[in-house]
Amino acid sequence: MMSRSEGPVSVPEEAPEAREDTRVPDGPGTTAAVDPESAPWSGPARWVVPALLAVVGAVALWGAFTVEAPPNATRPGPGAFPGAVGALLLVVAACLAVAGLRGSRTGDGTAGNTLSWFGARPVLVVMAGLVVHVALLEVLGWLLAGALLFWVVAYAFGARAHLRDAVVALSMSAAVQVGFSLGLGLSLPGGLLELVL
Amino acid sequence: MEALSLLMDGLAAALTPQNLVWAFLGVLLGTAVGVLPGMGSAMAVALLLPVTFRLDPTAALILFAGVYYGGMFGGATTSILLNTPGQASSIATTYEGHKMALAGRAAQALGTAVIGSFVASLIGTLVVALFAPFMVSVALNFGPGEYFALTVFSFVAVAAVVSGSVLRGLASLLIGLAVGLIGIDSQSGTPRFDFGSATMLDGIDIVIVTVGLLALGEVLYVAARGRSAPDLATTSAGRPWLSRGDWARSWRPWLRGTALGSVFGPIPGSGAEVPTFLSLGLERRLSARRERRRGVRDEFGEGAIEGVAGPEAANNSSAAGTMVPLLGLGLPTSATAAIMLAAFQQYGLQPGPVLFERDAELVWTLLASLLIGSVMLLVINLPFAPLWAKLLRLPKPYLYAGITLFSVLAVYAINTSVVHLVMLLAVTLLGLMMRAFGVPVAPALIGVVLGPIAETEFRRALAASSGDPSILVGSGISIGLYVLVLVAAAVPVVTALRRRRKARASAPAERETSDLG
Repeated sequence: MMSRSEGPVSVPEEAPEAREDTRVPDGPGTTAAVDPESAPWSGPARWVVPALLAVVGAVALWGAFTVEAPPNATRPGPGAFPGAVGALLLVVAACLAVAGLRGSRTGDGTAGNTLSWFGARPVLVVMAGLVVHVALLEVLGWLLAGALLFWVVAYAFGARAHLRDAVVALSMSAAVQVGFSLGLGLSLPGGLLELVL
Repeated sequence: MEALSLLMDGLAAALTPQNLVWAFLGVLLGTAVGVLPGMGSAMAVALLLPVTFRLDPTAALILFAGVYYGGMFGGATTSILLNTPGQASSIATTYEGHKMALAGRAAQALGTAVIGSFVASLIGTLVVALFAPFMVSVALNFGPGEYFALTVFSFVAVAAVVSGSVLRGLASLLIGLAVGLIGIDSQSGTPRFDFGSATMLDGIDIVIVTVGLLALGEVLYVAARGRSAPDLATTSAGRPWLSRGDWARSWRPWLRGTALGSVFGPIPGSGAEVPTFLSLGLERRLSARRERRRGVRDEFGEGAIEGVAGPEAANNSSAAGTMVPLLGLGLPTSATAAIMLAAFQQYGLQPGPVLFERDAELVWTLLASLLIGSVMLLVINLPFAPLWAKLLRLPKPYLYAGITLFSVLAVYAINTSVVHLVMLLAVTLLGLMMRAFGVPVAPALIGVVLGPIAETEFRRALAASSGDPSILVGSGISIGLYVLVLVAAAVPVVTALRRRRKARASAPAERETSDLG
């Protein structure tokens, strides 16, 4: 699907960076210094997940009490399950909050997941690309909006050969549009180009 | 052994050069659609169904079986390479499969998936051929109470076994259940959690959830980690074929996965997700036990081949198993099965208890074509496994840009609706957050898939007994499942206690064990 014939795709300036990276992993899990799945949260970050769960639980409970069951509905009605899920969410949120507090008091304090590794900039660039893509998809059409998305994401991941990136992005997007409309009979929005052509 | 000779007759009818070409084409097309992120066997079968209407029934069934298996393998391919399962049943494969790919063993992961699928569909189809009538009678015993017990069992098994921390697994499962609540309540028709949006009434499509939580969530997570993220392009491909050690480690998980798939596949409602996750959990447990008992290093979490071999085998043997309720009861138990039912009706086939007598010839041809499809899958895709693995050698920016593009496409293609894309953005942010805070995403996916089933069966059971909760434990099957739930819930607690006691015992003992490892 993703094979490409635009000639050699690896540029010289990417090679040293790539070689550098091979030295980093090979440790357990080949992840960053902390394994997020088991590392306890520390710092202000430890409140985020319990807070999220509490909010979702509150919304579920609110829904459970406000949902209007049709008069002929058999019991348990449509509110029972949301109520149970909401209550359990609040319980788990409380347990996680307590575990977070205890972990920060008794833990060795070094291996906590403080999110210091989190690089916000590329994430924001990708998110911006997605938002723009969604907003412009039906205006610009798949070809341009898709190419733009590809280009922005490639940029966020460190591609800097702008012209070549644009060519690759346009050909990917075009290949998808042609493949889908011809091969599978699925129509993607034509947008602006449809008016011009 | 009458069934075997009938199956042979079916094979004889199906094995013509022309039909082999159809099988070949089917597997090829199915794989091609399946490797698009977010698209699996159901999508492949749905897209290619219209093509089959022009063929005679035998050729159509063979093409179908090929597409089905091809699509399933294609879904497994994207799970392993891109962390993007094409269907719910290959979610379990992503965990160890993608880790293997990151460790430069993508070709081996694909290889064990192909061969495991082949072994499982072979055995699964034979089991169905031999025991279909018996399996139908067992499946008929499953009432709402038993279904509910089964879903509870899956929840506990997944939350307790698959994730590292029980509490975080539970949190993830509950998030999934909450997401599954969105949309019209199937029992009473009441709109729930639609927040005033008409599109939300249909609920959040499982494609949006898998693509958002797994594919795009992963893209953002890798972006956030920057240089500390593993670079796919530099992972050495290694030797393209399964080594002797890989075979030795794979064959038992294949057989265990096949057994799980054959047992759970025919049970309507359990689909292929339950056995795949049970298989993953089982292999993980066994691997940890091997480390404790014999000092064999537990590779789970770093790309253990057992974690791919087991779930993929379970997936394929349960696919054969779903033929039992489909043919015997006329009950489609998965999206793919529902589409197949539509195809049967095109040919005037009415699945149900009498199908085996009335249209015996076609039934046996169908089973035979499943066999042919699985052989064709092996022939076509085993040589391709190293080739697919090369996909990871694309430059990182283009690889992730491509994944993003196809993810958006997969979601847009559901209903050509921009609202779905907005939902995708929200789910993606959730996925990034869960990853960043180390909350496993697998239980959430299971919650979204099985949550609505659990609720429906629970309420159906209570409606049937007019509110008497004793119906939930009213049969041997459900009591047995609840006992398993208790065992599954107790084991992590006991293990944790034992570990704590051992740690307290003495430091020298610990040094001794680490010398062994």
